[in-house]
Amino acid sequence: MTRQARTVFALTAPAYLWLAVTVLLPLATMLYFSFLTASPLGGKEVQFTLKHYTDFFTKQIYWYNAWRSVELGLYVTALCLIIGYPAALGLAKYIKGRWREAIFLLIILPFWSNALVRTFSWTMVLREPFNILFSYPAIVVGLVHAYLPYAILTCYISLQAIDDSLIEAGRSLGATPAQAFRRITLPLSMPGIMAAIFLIFVPVIGSFMEPRILGGKDAIMLGPIIEGQFITAFNWPLGAALSFTMLGMVLLILLAASPFLKHQMARS
Amino acid sequence: MAQRVVKLYLAFVLVFLYLPIVVMIAMAFNRSALYEMPFTFDLVWFKALSTNERLLQASWNSVWIACINTVIATALGTLAAYAFARYEFRAKRLLQLLLFPPITIPWLIIGTSMLIFFFWTGIGRGLHAILLGHVALSLPYVIVVVGARFANFGPELEEAAASLGATPWQAFWRVTIPVLAPGITAAALFAFAVSFDQFVISYFLAPPGTSTLPVEIYTSIRKGFTPEINAISSIIILFSMGLMLIVARNYKFGGDN
Amino acid sequence: MSRVDILHVSKRYGSFAALDNVTITFNDGEFFGLLGPSGSGKTTLLRSVAGFIVPDEGSISFDGEQVENVPVHRRAIGMVFQSYALFPHLTIADNVGFGLDVRSTPREDIRKRVTEMLGLVRLSGLEGRYPKQLSGGQQQRVALARALITRPKVLLLDEPLGALDRRLRQEMQVELKEIQRETGVTAIFVTHDQEEALTLSDRIAIIDQGKLIQVDAPQTVYERPANIFAANFLGDANVFRGTPVKDGLKLADGTMIETLKAATGAAIVRPEKLRVASGRKKAAGNSLAGEITQAIYSGASVTYRIRTKAMGDVPLLAFIQNQTGEVLDTGTLVTVSWDKDQTIPVAP
Repeated sequence: MTRQARTVFALTAPAYLWLAVTVLLPLATMLYFSFLTASPLGGKEVQFTLKHYTDFFTKQIYWYNAWRSVELGLYVTALCLIIGYPAALGLAKYIKGRWREAIFLLIILPFWSNALVRTFSWTMVLREPFNILFSYPAIVVGLVHAYLPYAILTCYISLQAIDDSLIEAGRSLGATPAQAFRRITLPLSMPGIMAAIFLIFVPVIGSFMEPRILGGKDAIMLGPIIEGQFITAFNWPLGAALSFTMLGMVLLILLAASPFLKHQMARS
Repeated sequence: MAQRVVKLYLAFVLVFLYLPIVVMIAMAFNRSALYEMPFTFDLVWFKALSTNERLLQASWNSVWIACINTVIATALGTLAAYAFARYEFRAKRLLQLLLFPPITIPWLIIGTSMLIFFFWTGIGRGLHAILLGHVALSLPYVIVVVGARFANFGPELEEAAASLGATPWQAFWRVTIPVLAPGITAAALFAFAVSFDQFVISYFLAPPGTSTLPVEIYTSIRKGFTPEINAISSIIILFSMGLMLIVARNYKFGGDN
Repeated sequence: MSRVDILHVSKRYGSFAALDNVTITFNDGEFFGLLGPSGSGKTTLLRSVAGFIVPDEGSISFDGEQVENVPVHRRAIGMVFQSYALFPHLTIADNVGFGLDVRSTPREDIRKRVTEMLGLVRLSGLEGRYPKQLSGGQQQRVALARALITRPKVLLLDEPLGALDRRLRQEMQVELKEIQRETGVTAIFVTHDQEEALTLSDRIAIIDQGKLIQVDAPQTVYERPANIFAANFLGDANVFRGTPVKDGLKLADGTMIETLKAATGAAIVRPEKLRVASGRKKAAGNSLAGEITQAIYSGASVTYRIRTKAMGDVPLLAFIQNQTGEVLDTGTLVTVSWDKDQTIPVAP
């Protein structure tokens, strides 16, 4: 190894060794487990099988749960953007100076505060007089609350990077304010919108704590089922297979959307 | 006119974000365990909390893990960020891409895969396993945050130090580290927050009888609810937000620059 | 205060030759300008002297002592960066004293030398400020004081005035030259600004594609450029190409041009050496008939572009001192003339 290679190795190896042991190897192991008839622990006899995967495609209960997860992801992502984008736009283009700083800070403040505690706090609000605790809408409200700051943050970052003179140039060329927004501001803020979609859709599909706490018996989704396989049913291979199916599903959806994403990215 | 509409709308968004938190904090000071009105101020739940051994032990675990996690993740992450910022090497893109899985794969999947792997290899569950997992989740954030600070200054400062006679070691400690300090501080606070607030990973890696604060809270909520959870939750959320305020003062991320 | 010898130095990046067998000597106490377009290798040469770049071949020595394998921090150089590279976390005094501090100089001595250096660059009293609180010109001077405090063998300046506006740049040029003379340090600076190179340098090297084109005093480089590239890079030039004949060149249309001495195929004339008179008159020396296609009035002088049959599509460029306040209109038929002695043969 050259001197530089040794230095780079010494600097990066500790962090990446750690990541390998705690993230990459576990994912590989989980993939392996997902093809086994039972967990190979305590010297148990196990065989390779595709049963867990074929189960997913043949048993309606999994299909139904998967669809409920995707649907939840779509609802939450859409609502976050519908509520968050105007807020980000207002903050980036209409509010100036110290007000902007203060409001921005207030919006991202809950961002890192405990998600579990924030979810729990909704159980107190959604009882009376709304009376929607332990229902599908309650799950949506809790998740929108959890992920709205992501949407505002990513949209705000790309919106405030847009030079005001671009919009003024558009206006000087005869665009109405609405046209200037649709033809200049919106396309240029696409990267922020895309980042928000990615950052919200993926974790929402994988959520289980929010549905459990807010959804009650309506927590019929993939996340809680997977959790159950590990915590109560102890069917790790099935849980592993469901996890990878979920991961595959997310990848497929993002891949299907990728021509559109690429096009938007290339434009901006 | 437009200004007023915008302000009104932002106020509505802020109310949505803070309403449940404010209600929860208020209820922590309400005497009734069943959220009955009228509101009667009482510290009864905080008193109950101070004698709840399980919650106190879990809090203690959480704080300790978060502290150790902060030290390890900040140190390892800063070294890696330094390599990315100052050296060109072939595996760089790959290594940077490898930071994405811990951030983007749902925690549910990361947590369960850790559970499988740690069980299988004999690492087992427990506070040590939780710490292993927390550092993994914190590392990408540290590398990104410290890396962003690096992006603000090129190698010229270190070159200037060398041209003035500083050895690489002197240049690192007297120029690189002090200039990075705000970024490193922010990264450390992020790492603390990631660990302190982490629920999903800890949930799968905590053996019966030992747990961190979020896991203990979740178990209490699921089991049927004890009102001192309100009290401890209020403390956590105020603590987290305070921490975040410090980060924001140190490091204007996503701000005007 | 040293002599720097560069001997057959080459540096390649893949197939790109940043430096191609460069040999040059920077004399003791000399203010030397490296001039060239971006990517010409001038910065590579400067950074090789500093030690940030290790050449593939050749040797670099300070006062006869080879330094290619001496790391930067032991080379006893001083460097002023284009961005100044002032340490943002240190005060002005600590910035300037840094070089002494890392050499474990006693505090009291550092303080004294810092005061001295800040006096030299006329920044006394700003010791406690931070770089961000200073103007561009002041930051530039701090960078200079910081680089000079260790009494380096050679001072290296990378586009030292590039970040300043025009006024300030001219002021700083004078000051920089004075400080260099006062300290007597050997100084090498990189620039792409020809005016800066002419004003500051005792000698200039013109660099292109990793090769030295010409090394000479500024006046020589300007008045007697070695080739067309050097002529065009330092100032403007009218270039004549033709076949060599006795006493000069024969241009494509048959016009004869007399040159200073025997030409090999090309010759140049600086635009300010041309005379322009309206009408068709026979003049002494070289002369061409033409028509003004553009006249630009800029106060002290007038710039004409003149179409001639001999030059075809390329107009002649003439800078005429504004002595009468008159400007010839476009379309005026004129005679352009100049001396044979100002027609300099150059390598094509």
